[in-house]
Amino acid sequence: MTNKAKILIVDDNVDTVELLTKRFHAEGYDTSEAYDGEQALQQVVEYQPDIILLDIMMPKIDGYEVSKRLKSYDNTKHIPIIMLSAKARVPDKIKGLDLGADDYIVKPFDYRELSQRVKYWVTVKVEVEERLTKIRQLEKELIQSERLAAVGQTVASLAHYVKNILFGLKGGVYLVDEAFKENDTDSLKDGWDLVESNMGRISGLVLDLLEYSRERKPEYEKCFPNEIADDVCKLTQESAKEYSIEIIKDFDPSMGEAVMDPKGIHRCLLNLVSNAIDACIYDSNEEKKWVVRVKTILEDDGMVRFEVSDNGCGMDEETKKKLFTGFFTTKEGRGTGLGLLNTQKIAQEHGGTITVNSQLGQGSTFTIRMPYRDVATSGATGKED
Amino acid sequence: MKKVLIVDDDVDIRKVVSKLIEKSGYQAMEAKNGVEGMGKVREDKPDLIILDMLMPKESGIRMYHELKTEESLKDIPVIVLSAIPKKSFLRSQKVLDEFAGQSVPEPEAYIEKPEEPEELIALMKKILG
Ligand SMILES: Nc1ncnc2c1ncn2[C@@H]1O[C@H](COP(=O)(O)OP(=O)(O)O)[C@@H](O)[C@H]1O
Ligand SMILES: [Mg+2]
Repeated sequence: MTNKAKILIVDDNVDTVELLTKRFHAEGYDTSEAYDGEQALQQVVEYQPDIILLDIMMPKIDGYEVSKRLKSYDNTKHIPIIMLSAKARVPDKIKGLDLGADDYIVKPFDYRELSQRVKYWVTVKVEVEERLTKIRQLEKELIQSERLAAVGQTVASLAHYVKNILFGLKGGVYLVDEAFKENDTDSLKDGWDLVESNMGRISGLVLDLLEYSRERKPEYEKCFPNEIADDVCKLTQESAKEYSIEIIKDFDPSMGEAVMDPKGIHRCLLNLVSNAIDACIYDSNEEKKWVVRVKTILEDDGMVRFEVSDNGCGMDEETKKKLFTGFFTTKEGRGTGLGLLNTQKIAQEHGGTITVNSQLGQGSTFTIRMPYRDVATSGATGKED
Repeated sequence: MKKVLIVDDDVDIRKVVSKLIEKSGYQAMEAKNGVEGMGKVREDKPDLIILDMLMPKESGIRMYHELKTEESLKDIPVIVLSAIPKKSFLRSQKVLDEFAGQSVPEPEAYIEKPEEPEELIALMKKILG
């Protein structure tokens, strides 16, 4: 490893690339090259340059488009881009800068000037990065300091969660009060909706806590697993839509009526789908088209498989390790950290399992497998055809 | 009509605060994180910003710092509305200040959830008149 700054040189003119490569090597920089826009985007990912020298007129994807795309991604938008172009007209410059280029140099350029600008922008990038790291670290510390309060982590994170709910409730009650004073029915409806919604959140929390603390035997009854999954999708539809997340249902048509624990399955799926939606909300890659897929599969060996997958933020190694630990949450005081622990508990009480597959930045898939009891052979483990 | 922007990731909180803003005779604008918040601020400068701290995408810590270090935006008053105690917030801003080498002023007001709604209304009226 070296700590040389890395320059990505992008130009369809081989001579220009060669010349610049030679010059910058002589100055002690590391360089890499690309000859069209497509290669450039690929190189940015592979080479991770500190700065990009970008020609505008190129085959396939032109420099404007490259710049626009790089500046729209969270993990590439801090890389400075200097556009190099023979287009000397002011509107061209403005277009370049509008699309995110940080600087613009007209060809033929003075090499010393270019070198000065490169030096300047590399320094800026280093500073911006340090600042970002610092801010991220601070955010972590702030959340931590909340948690490490003397009352202990559990109570502190619960308290944070409840504080938000309480504020919503107080607001709702206030609106209802005012509505009565002013005889305003619209306001009454708004206030009441808020009270209801926040009561729902409290029940959710209490259910999570109870589930967490008690042994619960599955309550077997006749049900349609696909209908349970469908209901969960309906319940979560609205919040998904608010964040432009699409929920896709992919149900096995051969799945019929079964004797299972519908309430338990409902809780499990609701937990998984809510988490999947959160994972999309917390994803910083705004370019993605977020999708949560809920899949049911009747397996040959008499098991039902529920799969909930998302293409959201994924998990780092630490999160993967702590996933099923009680009160572990990365949701900044908005989560209870009980959902997965409970989901696992319910699945296991059903003689089932839960597994995870996740890749940071790509998404996650949670799979629950439970024994399927056909209505006809209720009580038996196998099913008859 | 004066405009007030509420930035909070929690739908219910956005709803409550929007209603309180409208009841006080102002126009409400909403954003669900710092990125969206900064976008709204640039596009249609509000007269007051009510800002939550812990949000996905961009947090309020960062948005506050961005607001207060940008010449054209730094005079917009900000009420921080958060479940995080004020002390923790001020400490984080101080560290950021030291790092950035410039000092950012304290917010106009700091409300720790769950404060009474009347308090927020009174504050808005005091700041906006
Ligand atoms: N689909 C998912 N994608 C990414 N991370 C996830 C996913 N599901 C769960 N997690 C991680 O596991 C943690 C624990 O989840 P959970 O037990 O449901 O608690 P909570 O949702 O209240 O945080 C979450 O905070 C999150 O970090
Ligand atoms: Mg959860």
